[in-house]
Amino acid sequence: MTSFELVEPRSLEETFALLDRDDPAVRPIAGGTALMLMMKSGLFSPLRLISLRRVEPRLAGIAFADGSVRIGAMTTFAALEHSPEIRRHLPVVTRTMRTLANPRVRNVATVGGNLAHADTHLDLPLVWIALGAQAVVVSPRGERIVAVEDLYRGYYETVLHHDELIAALHVPLRPTWRSVYVKVTTRTAHDWPALGIAVSLARDGSIIRDARIAVGAATKKATRLIQAETVLRGAAIDAAAVDDALLARAGDAAIGEISIEADSRGSASYKQHLLRVYLGRAVRAAAAAEPGA
Amino acid sequence: MTPEPMPLSQVGRSIPRLEASAKVTGRAEYVHNLRLPGMLYGKIFRSIVPHGRITQVNVSAARAVEGVHRVVTIEDIRSIIPNPYFGPAFHDQPILADHKVRFAGEPVAVVLAENYRVAEQAAGLITAQYEELQAVDDEVEAVSASVFVHDELKPASTFADLQHLKGQRGTNVALDYRLRHGDAEAAFAAADQVFEHSFRTQPVMHTPLEPFVSVADAANGRLTIHTASQSPSFVRIEIARLLGWAENRVRVKTAHLGGGFGSKLYIKLEALVAALSLLTGRPVKISLTMEEQFFMVTRHACTLKIKSAVDKNGRITARQCKTWWNGGAYADIGPRVTQKAGFTAAGPYDIENVALDSYAVYTNRPPASALRGFGAPQTAWAYETHTDLIAEALNIDKLEFRRRNILRNGRPQATGTVVRDTGLEAILDRLAERLAWDQPFDRGSDKLRRGRGIAIGFKAIVAPTTSAAIVKINADGSCTLYCGTVDMGQGSDTCMTQIAAEVLNIEAESIQVIHPDTDVTPYDMGTLGSRSTFHMGNAVRLAAEDAKSKIAALMAELNLPPGSNVPLVELFRRKYGMQAGNIIGTGSFHPAYAKPDHQTGRSPQVTPFWGVGGTGAEVEVDTETGQFRVTTLVNVVDAGVPINPKLVQQQISGAAIMQFGFTVSENMVFHEGQLTNGSLADYKIPGLLDLPRNFINEWVEARQHDGPFGAKGVGESATIALSPAIGNAIADAVGVRLTELPLTAESVYRAMQAAKGKPLPEQ
Repeated sequence: MTSFELVEPRSLEETFALLDRDDPAVRPIAGGTALMLMMKSGLFSPLRLISLRRVEPRLAGIAFADGSVRIGAMTTFAALEHSPEIRRHLPVVTRTMRTLANPRVRNVATVGGNLAHADTHLDLPLVWIALGAQAVVVSPRGERIVAVEDLYRGYYETVLHHDELIAALHVPLRPTWRSVYVKVTTRTAHDWPALGIAVSLARDGSIIRDARIAVGAATKKATRLIQAETVLRGAAIDAAAVDDALLARAGDAAIGEISIEADSRGSASYKQHLLRVYLGRAVRAAAAAEPGA
Repeated sequence: MTPEPMPLSQVGRSIPRLEASAKVTGRAEYVHNLRLPGMLYGKIFRSIVPHGRITQVNVSAARAVEGVHRVVTIEDIRSIIPNPYFGPAFHDQPILADHKVRFAGEPVAVVLAENYRVAEQAAGLITAQYEELQAVDDEVEAVSASVFVHDELKPASTFADLQHLKGQRGTNVALDYRLRHGDAEAAFAAADQVFEHSFRTQPVMHTPLEPFVSVADAANGRLTIHTASQSPSFVRIEIARLLGWAENRVRVKTAHLGGGFGSKLYIKLEALVAALSLLTGRPVKISLTMEEQFFMVTRHACTLKIKSAVDKNGRITARQCKTWWNGGAYADIGPRVTQKAGFTAAGPYDIENVALDSYAVYTNRPPASALRGFGAPQTAWAYETHTDLIAEALNIDKLEFRRRNILRNGRPQATGTVVRDTGLEAILDRLAERLAWDQPFDRGSDKLRRGRGIAIGFKAIVAPTTSAAIVKINADGSCTLYCGTVDMGQGSDTCMTQIAAEVLNIEAESIQVIHPDTDVTPYDMGTLGSRSTFHMGNAVRLAAEDAKSKIAALMAELNLPPGSNVPLVELFRRKYGMQAGNIIGTGSFHPAYAKPDHQTGRSPQVTPFWGVGGTGAEVEVDTETGQFRVTTLVNVVDAGVPINPKLVQQQISGAAIMQFGFTVSENMVFHEGQLTNGSLADYKIPGLLDLPRNFINEWVEARQHDGPFGAKGVGESATIALSPAIGNAIADAVGVRLTELPLTAESVYRAMQAAKGKPLPEQ
C-alpha cells in the first residue's frame, strides 16, 4: 500500500470543495473496510482520501417518520444490527447482519459505503432493493433521489458522479410485507456468496399481491428480477406451500432476464441452478413468514 | 502461599502451554516484531509469466525513488555467492531468477529501502521483458513433454539415492521411486477380480497465519539470521555452503512461529536476506504478505492410479500404485515426499504383492513441498476411496473389508519393514464404536440424504534424522533446557519440559526452554514430519538422564548416600564452597535406519515409527444442490503414550481442521500457469462455523517401545485419512463417487446429475 493524504472535513461544503470531479485518485472514504482491501492489494492507489466520519449530522442517525426510516449514510452496520427500532420494523435487516462479515467489520463498515462500493457480492444492497429503499444523493448542485435498484451501472460501477455522495437511505415501512434474505455460499460459511437473493412479498390472503426480488453475487451487479416478480404477482398460493410449477415459472423468468457469471465459487450453469432452487426456497420462506418479517 | 504438592508424574499431565500467557497478552517474541538499527526493508518484484527467458529488467525508475537504497538482481547476488542455487534435495533454485523464470510469481529483483512502503512503491515501478516459453502445468503431461523446466538435474550431494539423476538432461522427472514386493504381475494374472481407479488431488497452501519473515545481519565477519524457520540447523548448513564459510560463522535464531505446517522448512527467504545483508553491510528484513505466500511453497497436486487384485475371500492379493507429484518449478523437499509417501502408497493393508512407482515431476508452478503429512494424505485419498469401491463391488461391509485386510503388528509392510507398536486395529475398533457402525443408520429424506464413511491410513516418518539436546542444572538447582525444536504453536516447549522434568523429578513448569539459536542450542534436523516428540523427546530424555547420573556422581563424590535428599544448591555449595558451577547433561538420538535398495525400494528399517490415523464422518447432502454438511467427524490417531494429553488432542483437532479445508474448500486454481485466487478472500480456509457439530478427536494408546516414555509424534496423523472418510460418506449418502479433491457442492451436484443421465453443462 502506498502513502496517501487523509483529510477529515467537518461539513459537506468542505467535503465538496475537497472532492475532485476529474481525479480518480481523490476519493471519499467511509468505514474503509472494502477500500482498504483494494488499497492493500494495489488495485487502488489514492493520492487523497476524504474521510466522511466527521461530517455531522447530515450523514448520521436512524430516524423514523411518516411511514419510513431515514438511515444516515455513515451509520455503521453494528448500529443497525443493535437498533431495537430496526429489529422491530425491519427485522430482515437485523437477521441479515448475522451472516454479514464479522463483528469487527460490522463495527466499522457503513450503510453508505456499502452501497457506493457497488460490489455485487455485498448482501445488504439486495435487501434494500427488495425493501424498496431509495438513496439520497447530494452534490454541490443539490440533492437527488435514486432508487437503490437504479444505483448500479455495472461491476463496481454506480451511476454516481465523482462529486456526489450518498447522504442517507430512505426505507419505506411496510408492515404487511414479509422479507427474506438468503446468502448462498458454496465453500465456507464466511466466503463471499456464490449467490445472494432477497425476496419481499405482500400477500392478500392466498394471493401474492406484490413481490420485489433482488439478486446479486452471481451477476455483474445487484439486479432486480422484474420478470420473476411479474410471474409471482397475482398468483394464488396455499397458505402452507407455494406451488412447484409457479416457482419453476418464476425461476425460468429469472434465468431469462439476467446473465450469470462464473467464478471460483461456481460455474455459471451451477449458479443458474442454485438461483432456481434458492429463489423457490426464498419465496416459500417469505410466503410462510409473519407479516412485517 | 503454600505451593501445590508436585504431581507424582510429569508425563501424562495436561499442563497449559508454557507460552500461553505471553501469547495472549501480546508479549511473545516473533521475528515480525524485530527491528535492528539501520535495517533495510526488502520488497520482491515477481515474474508475471510462468516460463520465459528474461530479456530485460528495468530498475531505473525504482532506483530513482527517494528512500530507495539499492535494487538487486541475480548479477549482484552472484558477486557475493558465485553459485547462487540452493535446495535441500536439488541445488536447483536460484536466489533470484537467473535469466529465466520458471513460475508466475518467481522473485526476479528486490528493492531495498529505508522503509517498507518505499520499497513496495518502488518495486511497483520495476518492469521486465520476457521471451515467453511454453509452460508445463500438468504432472502427467510433464513426464513426456518436450519442454523442460530445468536443462539439467542438479541433485544435492546429501542424498545418495538421488545421485543417479546427476547431470541428466531432457527430463522433468526429479525422482522416480519404485518399490517391488512379491510378484504383483503374477498375482494380477491369477486374480479372481481386479479393480482399477484413478484419482486426483489439488494444489493447496500451508497458510501459516504468520507469513514468511527473515532478517539477516552481516557484521564482523559473521552473519546472524533471525528467521521464522522450522529448521534453523539446516538453514545454517545451507547458508554456510552457499558462502563457503565454516558453520560457526553463521548464527540462525528463531522466535515463536505463527504456524509452519512444513512451509517454513529448509531454505525460504534466508539465502536472499543473507546475500542482501552482505551486499549492503546493513541488516535486511523481508516479510511477505499473505498474498505472496502463495508463491513460496504449496502442497503437491497429484494424479494417482491404483489397481488391486482381490481373491474370493475378500483378501487383497496384489496392488499396483502409480503416483505423479506436481512438484512445481523447484524440487524443494518434493523428491523426499515422493519417496516417503511412496513407501505407504499401498495403504495399511497386508498385501503380499505390491508394485509402487512414484514420480516427482517439475512443472511451471510454484514449488511444492511437505505439508502436514508428507504426501500421505494424497495417497490415502486414493487408496481409501479405492478400498470402499472394492468393498462395495464385493458387497462386503466396508469396516469388515478393512479388518480383513488390515496390517497387523508383527507383519512386514510393503517395504519389508515389520510393523510394530501401531494402533491400526484399535483405531478401526474405536471408529466403529464412535459411529455406532453396527447400529441402524438414519438415512434422512429424499431432499436431505445422510451417509457415513470411514477411512484409515498411515505414514513412514522421515529418516534418517537426528536430534541433540542439553540439560543444564544451575547452581541453585534450577534447570535450563537447550533444544532446537521450534515451537510453532504445537506446544513442543511444554512437551519437552515434561520429559526432562519426569527424568529429573522436578516440576515441568519450573524448567526454562532456550529457543533455537544455532550458536547456543545443539543440532536438530528440523521440526517436521511428526518427528520432534520421538527424536528430540528422546534426546531430551537422554540429556536429562545424563544430568541425573552426574548429580548422582557428585553425591558420591561428596560421600552422600544414593537418593539423599540434600538439595542441589547444597551439593554445589559443598563442592565449590559457594553457590557456583553447574551440571551439563547432553543427549543425542539417532534411531536405526536402513537405506532402501535402489532396485526394489525395500528396507528392513525404513522408519523409526509409524504415524497412524483414522477418520469417521457422517454427512447430510442437500440433493437439490449438492451442498453438504459434515455433521459428525471422528478423528482417532495412535499417539503412543501421550506426554501431554491436552496437547495431543489439540494436534488432532488442528490437523483435522486443516485437512478438512483441503477436502472441501481449499484449492489453488491455475489458469494458463497463473494463479487466479491468490488471496484469502478467494482461497477459502475453514472457519469455526464450518466445523462439524460433533467434532470428536481422540487417540488410542499403542506404547511406542523406544519412544520417550512410550510416546510418538502426532502432528500429522489426523490429516491422513480425513478426505476419503468424507468422500466415502458422501458416496454412502447419494451414491456418487468423487475422485478429485476438493469435494465441492458443485462437484457433488454434477456427479449426481451425471448419474441421472442429465449432466449439467460445463460452463
